[in-house]
Amino acid sequence: MKTKQTDVVAEYLHEVDQRLAGIPVLQRRELLADLAAHIAAEQAERNLTSEGEVIEVLERLGSPEVVAAAAHEEAGTRFTPPAAPSRKRFWLIAGIVAGVVLVLAFCVGALALAQGSTSAPAVQNPAEPAVAPAVVPS
Amino acid sequence: MADVSQLSTSLRRGTLEFCVLAMVETEDRYGNEIVRRLGDEPGLAAGEGTIYPLLSRLRRSGWLQSKWAESPSGPPRRYYGLTPAGRSALEHFRTEWVSFRLTVDRLVGTGEAA
Repeated sequence: MKTKQTDVVAEYLHEVDQRLAGIPVLQRRELLADLAAHIAAEQAERNLTSEGEVIEVLERLGSPEVVAAAAHEEAGTRFTPPAAPSRKRFWLIAGIVAGVVLVLAFCVGALALAQGSTSAPAVQNPAEPAVAPAVVPS
Repeated sequence: MADVSQLSTSLRRGTLEFCVLAMVETEDRYGNEIVRRLGDEPGLAAGEGTIYPLLSRLRRSGWLQSKWAESPSGPPRRYYGLTPAGRSALEHFRTEWVSFRLTVDRLVGTGEAA
């Protein structure tokens, strides 16, 4: 029971922390310490025992998005969602893949062309007997 | 819907911090007390957790001071109190606010006498 509560609290604080990128480290630490102290004080002073009651305290604090957004507003920084850099990376990878595919397609095309020109004279030579002369058994 | 929340955000900006200063005007209070009190008021804070970054800024700008103290019933508490600069900022706001409010009331038609 006790560990389950701290799990929920740790998860909440982690979610907030993940959204604080760009805020000076000491302000970031201060906010996390203030939130942790707030939760611990609520638990101790109001004698909260169940996970449900702890979740209620967290809901009153606000979602990690809302709390982090307020922190960015006060610090004068801007929240860069973690999705943004990965999206940028996605396009980078997509570009590289597209480039590789293009080069490969070019190589395959060139190879096919080269093969076509070497096999072409063979086709133009119909004199070659299609079937080997049958050996007539005596 | 978006406009309604936008309005309360705009109104909050610039006024909520003075509500915080007024809360610790006569006696020092710890984080949970301040945050709980403001959280109980409708439309004042988006979430109790949004008050802590505000407390941090007010402390860094020299209007609040804070100190940690032992608690009789739990973990150490962080108490906040007004600095002399915070006290004069609050006094200044009170004067400004009254004339601002009267002007808006007169123009918007929300005055009691109107």
